[in-house]
Amino acid sequence: MTARSTLPPAAGMGWATQVTLFIAVLFLVCAWAIDLTPAALANLPRQMVTVLSFFYPADMEYGATRVWPALLESIQIAWMGTIVAAMLSLPLALLGARTLFPRIARLVKLISATARAFPEILLAIYFVPIVGLGAFAGALAIGISSVGMLTKLGSEVVESIDMGPVEAVQAAGGSRLLALRYAVVPQVMPEIVAHWLFRFELNIRASAVLGVVGAGGVGGVLLNTLRYRHFEKAAAVLLLTILVVLIIDMVSGGTRRRLLR
Amino acid sequence: MSEAIDAATTRPLRPARNWVLIIGALGMVSLMTWWSARGIGFSIIELACNLPGGRRLLVESWPPDWSFFPRLLGPLLETLQIAVIGTVIGGILAIPIAVLAARNLTPGFLVWFVDRNFMNILRTLPDLFWAMLFAAAVGFGPVAGALALTVFTIAVISKLWSESLEAIDMAVPEAVRAAGGSWLAMLQFGAIPQALPHYVSYTLYAFELNVRASMILGLVGAGGIGMVLETQRSTFEYPRVTLIVLSVLVLVLIIEQISESIRRRLI
Amino acid sequence: MNDKAAIRFKGAGVVYPNGAVGLAGIDLEIKPGEFVVVVGSSGAGKSTLLRSVNGLTPLTDGTITVGGQPVPKKEGRELRRLRAGVGMIFQDFRITRRLTVMTNVLVGRVAHVPGWRAMFNLWPAADREIAFKALERVGIADKAWVRAGDLSGGQQQRVGIARALAQEPAIILADEPVASLDPVTTHQIMRDLVRINEELGITTVVNLHFLDLARRYGQRIIGLRGGELVYDGTANSVTQEDFKNIYGRDPDAGDVLDEREAS
Repeated sequence: MTARSTLPPAAGMGWATQVTLFIAVLFLVCAWAIDLTPAALANLPRQMVTVLSFFYPADMEYGATRVWPALLESIQIAWMGTIVAAMLSLPLALLGARTLFPRIARLVKLISATARAFPEILLAIYFVPIVGLGAFAGALAIGISSVGMLTKLGSEVVESIDMGPVEAVQAAGGSRLLALRYAVVPQVMPEIVAHWLFRFELNIRASAVLGVVGAGGVGGVLLNTLRYRHFEKAAAVLLLTILVVLIIDMVSGGTRRRLLR
Repeated sequence: MSEAIDAATTRPLRPARNWVLIIGALGMVSLMTWWSARGIGFSIIELACNLPGGRRLLVESWPPDWSFFPRLLGPLLETLQIAVIGTVIGGILAIPIAVLAARNLTPGFLVWFVDRNFMNILRTLPDLFWAMLFAAAVGFGPVAGALALTVFTIAVISKLWSESLEAIDMAVPEAVRAAGGSWLAMLQFGAIPQALPHYVSYTLYAFELNVRASMILGLVGAGGIGMVLETQRSTFEYPRVTLIVLSVLVLVLIIEQISESIRRRLI
Repeated sequence: MNDKAAIRFKGAGVVYPNGAVGLAGIDLEIKPGEFVVVVGSSGAGKSTLLRSVNGLTPLTDGTITVGGQPVPKKEGRELRRLRAGVGMIFQDFRITRRLTVMTNVLVGRVAHVPGWRAMFNLWPAADREIAFKALERVGIADKAWVRAGDLSGGQQQRVGIARALAQEPAIILADEPVASLDPVTTHQIMRDLVRINEELGITTVVNLHFLDLARRYGQRIIGLRGGELVYDGTANSVTQEDFKNIYGRDPDAGDVLDEREAS
């Protein structure tokens, strides 16, 4: 704030003001285009309260019989997808590190960027007809889209390490493979496993959604309950999902913090 | 001889490994994997058996049905509009939520506690769940999508930005308070200017995520290109599905490139 | 003693890809069991000289023979076999901080055991014994199972020396081994190197920046300037004038470790 007083007064509108105005105009145009009127916005809170009242009380019997198995399936999909992605991404992360494999790294980075570009659900749209409706398609979709991100993050970890020990192993007559084993892997493993756990947390959310296209899990259950306006049953889905995700986040987050200490 | 004995006594024994931890962790991981693989029928054999069918599908999905493209322009534009609205409203609402959740700025413990838990619960539900909920509440269409992305944006920005706010230098905010400034003055002149570049960067990041998410919101009826995708998918028009997926990818990549270049200049 | 420990440079030169000259026309013979100190200002080619002996920096001109064998110019089995007999000690230790001291020292045995054993950390008892002996020689056997990163700087450098010793090398190359250490530890590490040279007869080549250390611990001193050999003589006969020639200027307080010895 003191800086402003020492500067000469700005001529016309400042840079920030222009950007803000541009965003405001853009917003109004968009709102108009999708019929989001001020009246509709003002009406919204009352509407939400009305709808929310339908959600009470949650049908916990439905929760126990239908939602819980579907949630478990979502966890299984996320776990399997993460395991597959972790196994595939570990060698790829090493190959994708510029500092270790300057020639191959570019190719690996290109592949991982492509895999990252596909949201899980678009992959699932292709896997469902290939392997049939169900959780297997979901796990494949989750696995492949996770490989991209885990490879990228893993390569970044590898690129950030101290390369001194790598040269030391080679100076002792060790091969490149042994240099990876004794100088690279011990340095990067805690961070890489932490990334696996973080990806598992994200995959729980992703797999919860996949049911929408028939790839198993809790998403399909929520879609059906809402489609037939069974709001008490939908409430059971939401409650159980929030609970399970919170618990998994806590366990996984705690483990990550211990790993990185 | 005596030297060897002497040396032997100074050699420490290899400490016993923490087998409980090692076996426990390995056991947990294998058990989870076994349970998951069995539960979802995960098998490499099945994958191999289904590959011929998969090839047929891939052959059918290529080439994309280019003649369908003109009918995509409207929905693609709507998708971007949904993303803009979600980002702007969500970005504004995220400011108070992030400030109250920052330990160094919050006016009281109770507010902080409630706000922080509210934030965490928002984060537990995936974007498509919000889309389904709002589609049920306000009806199918882009408004439901925009509202879903609003919530999603709040969840993303408030979490990240409250962490940046906690990392600011408290000297100036405390000076404002000491000079008799109110809590709001402290925020306005002391705290927020320091974390403003982060706020802009996170908002752009949220916009990227929103563009990505808005493409699939239509799968549950919340407007945009996803609604076209859903109808073509359920009638197995895979050449059209491929065209939609490709155009979505290209659009997402363009937006990300632009947003990333702006973000890089900011920080 | 055995000729395996002799190093011979013939017209050795290194030009880096960016055009910088690392070494130029070095002709030099180091005899088995010698303790040689290489001095010169930074950028004079000390590191290049050392790293060319085990092929970490390949020559672009001339040849180097180690024990009569020419140093291969490409990475591969032959170069690895040569490196197995040449231990190296680094300024920044270059140990893997997250592994135990023992594992770091066993890395010195990688070229002496079958690859699969090294890969799965299944070291033969004989090699473990060699590693322990190496740790005892530098006096940190009690730290064998400690995480290497938890040790002090001087102890970490001892791990580096033990790793080199575990190779049972004919030659040890030490690249500024004391540059990151405090004066007291510096003298301890230098005495360790001299003692190892005397007890085991390992040919030792040490790069040093400090003149007083070079004069105190070296038998033979080699001076480099701009990649060229400008001095080669015994530590007793080296004069202030020689140092001036090596450094291209009068040595100042920054070139000695202990200022009392400067004059």
